[in-house]
Amino acid sequence: MMAGPDGAGGTSGAGAPAANVPSATPPLEPIRSHRRMQFLDDEQLDRLQDATLRILEEVGVRFPSEAALEILGGHGASVDKATQVVRFPRDLVRRALSTAPRYFTMAARDPRFDLHLEDGVSYFTTDGCGVATIDFDTRQERPSRKSDVAEMARIADYLPSIGFMWPTVSAQDHGSTSQLHEIDAAFNNTVKHFQAMVMGAEPARRAIEMATVLAGSRDALRARPVLSNLICSIAPLAQDHDGIEAALVFAEAGIPVGLLAMPTLGTTAPATSAGALVVGDAEVISGVVLLQLAYPGSPVFHSIMKAWADPRNGNYVGYSIDSRARYAPVEMAHRWGLSSLGACFGTDSPAAGTWQAGVEVALDPLLGGLASPEIVTGMGLDRTYTVLYPEAIILDDDIYQRARHALLAEDVSDETLALDVIADVGPGGHFLAEQHTRTHMRTSLKRGLTHELAPGGGYRDPLEVARERVAWIRANHHPEPLETAKAAELTRILAAADRDLGAPG
Amino acid sequence: MSGPTPALAPIRPARHARFLDDGQLADLRSATLEILEEVGVHCPSTAVRALYAEHGALVDEAREVVRFPADLVTRAMARAPRGYVMGARDPAFDLVLDGTALYVATDGCGIEVLDPASGGRRPSTAADVAMAARLADALPAVGFYWPMLSAQDHPRTAPLHELLASYPNTVKHVQTETVMGARPARYAVEMARVLAGDDATLRARPPLSALICTIAPLAQDDAGMEGALVLAEAGIPVGFMSMATAGSTGPATIPGTVVAGDAEIVAALTLVQLVHPGAPVFHSLMTGMMDPRTGAYLATPWENEIAYVVGVELAHAWGVPTLAGVYGTDARTPGWQAAAEAAVALTLCALAGAETGSGMGLLESCTLFTPEQLVLDADLHERVRCTLAAFDTSREALALDVIKAVGPKGHFLYERHTRDELRRRRFSPLTGQVAFDGSPIDPLDAARAAAARILAEHRPEPLDDAQARELARIVAAADREADAVAAGAGR
Repeated sequence: MMAGPDGAGGTSGAGAPAANVPSATPPLEPIRSHRRMQFLDDEQLDRLQDATLRILEEVGVRFPSEAALEILGGHGASVDKATQVVRFPRDLVRRALSTAPRYFTMAARDPRFDLHLEDGVSYFTTDGCGVATIDFDTRQERPSRKSDVAEMARIADYLPSIGFMWPTVSAQDHGSTSQLHEIDAAFNNTVKHFQAMVMGAEPARRAIEMATVLAGSRDALRARPVLSNLICSIAPLAQDHDGIEAALVFAEAGIPVGLLAMPTLGTTAPATSAGALVVGDAEVISGVVLLQLAYPGSPVFHSIMKAWADPRNGNYVGYSIDSRARYAPVEMAHRWGLSSLGACFGTDSPAAGTWQAGVEVALDPLLGGLASPEIVTGMGLDRTYTVLYPEAIILDDDIYQRARHALLAEDVSDETLALDVIADVGPGGHFLAEQHTRTHMRTSLKRGLTHELAPGGGYRDPLEVARERVAWIRANHHPEPLETAKAAELTRILAAADRDLGAPG
Repeated sequence: MSGPTPALAPIRPARHARFLDDGQLADLRSATLEILEEVGVHCPSTAVRALYAEHGALVDEAREVVRFPADLVTRAMARAPRGYVMGARDPAFDLVLDGTALYVATDGCGIEVLDPASGGRRPSTAADVAMAARLADALPAVGFYWPMLSAQDHPRTAPLHELLASYPNTVKHVQTETVMGARPARYAVEMARVLAGDDATLRARPPLSALICTIAPLAQDDAGMEGALVLAEAGIPVGFMSMATAGSTGPATIPGTVVAGDAEIVAALTLVQLVHPGAPVFHSLMTGMMDPRTGAYLATPWENEIAYVVGVELAHAWGVPTLAGVYGTDARTPGWQAAAEAAVALTLCALAGAETGSGMGLLESCTLFTPEQLVLDADLHERVRCTLAAFDTSREALALDVIKAVGPKGHFLYERHTRDELRRRRFSPLTGQVAFDGSPIDPLDAARAAAARILAEHRPEPLDDAQARELARIVAAADREADAVAAGAGR
């Protein structure tokens, strides 16, 4: 919902705050799944889980990390040093998973925006991590840069639909330390939680150093982690060296770590959905087992994002016509007793605001809300999450709000049933002049993008309204700035990282 | 199974869900009963008021208002069948309303056609009804056909000309949303009887059904109700739709507007069941919200999505099938808005177990037809169908043997399982399409091309010659009668 820039409740015009005066971040509006449902039945979920356990036991997962192999071998996994493939006895998997917390907190710079993960509430994030930006001012496509992350952080800060932030695009102007610069851009421009995609043990240590600046101390960071980190595995059935070593460093510090598998049907995974999901699940669970054996009780979350190889032309397809991947992996995570990062949004449409960009994602937040993952990615990218159109996040936000409202509990009460009013008006009458109408009409119609009035009658083009809202937010929303000393400390850490880990690109 | 019409592909959700709890549904139902008992419904037809009075409703002749003792309503509604068959010209396309599948119809009744080639608009004719029927016939997503456009070239008997244009051009079930009044209804029954062959078949597998609008708040249309009784007597399924609008013709709250609309529908359904007990009927609640600045009816504000699923659950609480409001869009052109606005209600209503729905293919709040919009809406239907289908966790789908064979860091591309299964995966024929030169094809262009190809090539199994002649004869007779009535009125 947009409280400011729309015509209905607007603070546009004279009421708008002057540039660079801190403005309040609106309260979050997560999807509270009053009407959640389970799509797969328990027996199906158990079959999937059993298949994962069989893969882990009989095929194994490759861990190209000496540290990881040592931990896993030490706890009774079967390690083949030559191939680096680890096989996991079932009871080891069960034992390790028993220490994983079902819920945890993803804290924010401003504690009012801490996410205390819980049943039935889904917090959505921006999408990530794109590589190109349609420039906010020139509208020309160019490689993405750190300032884009900062712009998107401010927009994400303003939108109540965004519970936490991903690096929407890559800070490509900072070369090998881009992931740390993305953290800096976010910490400076939103009071919300940030989920990074840092790879490698040393970059992970620097990221923790940055998060510690915000938290105040390592203990405070462990209690209220203002950063979480997402690690991708490599399908099929392999971990990434830098990824898994970063995961160990983060887990040690109490930073929530997400294990993400991205199986592609037909190439890196079987061409059946169930087969692809169990390959992905085996990768994720192998990572969770490692982290729980090394640091029992460390916060972890589970995610599988499925894609397809188009048999017609070999293209990578994020959206087939089948959106069961919006809920099946979520239910698998919950069956393991883990929090889930659900996969929503990120259309294959080459541009924002097209029919394809609408139709592909239109079901997503509704299905996500019904299955109720604790956290969900990600609004605001097009072209299979590679291109940032500034207005895309506003369009996705509109679809999100439509789903959120559809899943709200309906208030059936004497006041909303309005039987006295109906009796007063009677057959053939009109409700327009009733006090009840005046009272409720003010709050009942929230204007989404599609119902902004045009000056000459009718409604405005939603795409045009979305662009205007982006411009309004950029001009008017300035989240509470980071304390100067902390900002300076981040800059110092970044300078050291640039020096130690590689020259800026 | 005959002819070139592809088999229907309705939405069969693997799981159904309930969105209101029993207590809420009971509250809504008792509110409707209270309105019917204490406020009543305006009924302008003398004949219909007489029937209500005869069966025990309380009629105020001076105000033309009918009130209903609660037990009269519940007794009447208990006679309505929970499910039945809506027949088709080709029995392979019969719709069995048993709650396992959602069949979605085209939208209607538009008045303008947008020519994709010129971008120009023109008023619709009977030929457009025929053209749209042929397009709908070829799309598996379209479960049955609402004449999409008004046969405005036959102003006096447009509804019958819409049927005359529909039947030869689709083998699917046809639902009229424009036949009103006893006389046109009698002609429509005659036409349906020609298609069915005999009265018994007409009752068992009626190839026609009808949707009649009520008037909000709490009023009936005399022609609508009189026509409904004629159709119901012949066994033609009849449904009533309320479009009560929060803030203008209904209270400014969704539950208030829902119960006001429900009362209109239930008052009409009660009449049908009192007069023709056991007649197949359906319930259709398509409430909207008023734009407080302009007074316009809005189908798709965020807050209104839930009203459609409440309508489905309320129909079921009364023990009758529903025609759900799906696909409504206030968009003016094919594109992002039409897709973004249509998906939620379609998905929720399918999950709630709606038997039928309508709304594919029109823009600008059900007034403007363009062929590609029907193709685009069919694509969304296919997405929802696939997404709500059962998830396959069979041994073949789990593919453990293949996974073991490939192992860590291998590749699945060359596996026989991959070649077999990848062919079975469903991809949109509109997205991800590439031209010969490698450039991407805009999905809207792909939809236009698909519509053009269907219209150039698709010829449904033709109507039997004798039946076609008989339908033409019936409509010609209706035309003559309408002309005579008009001439009489003119004198």
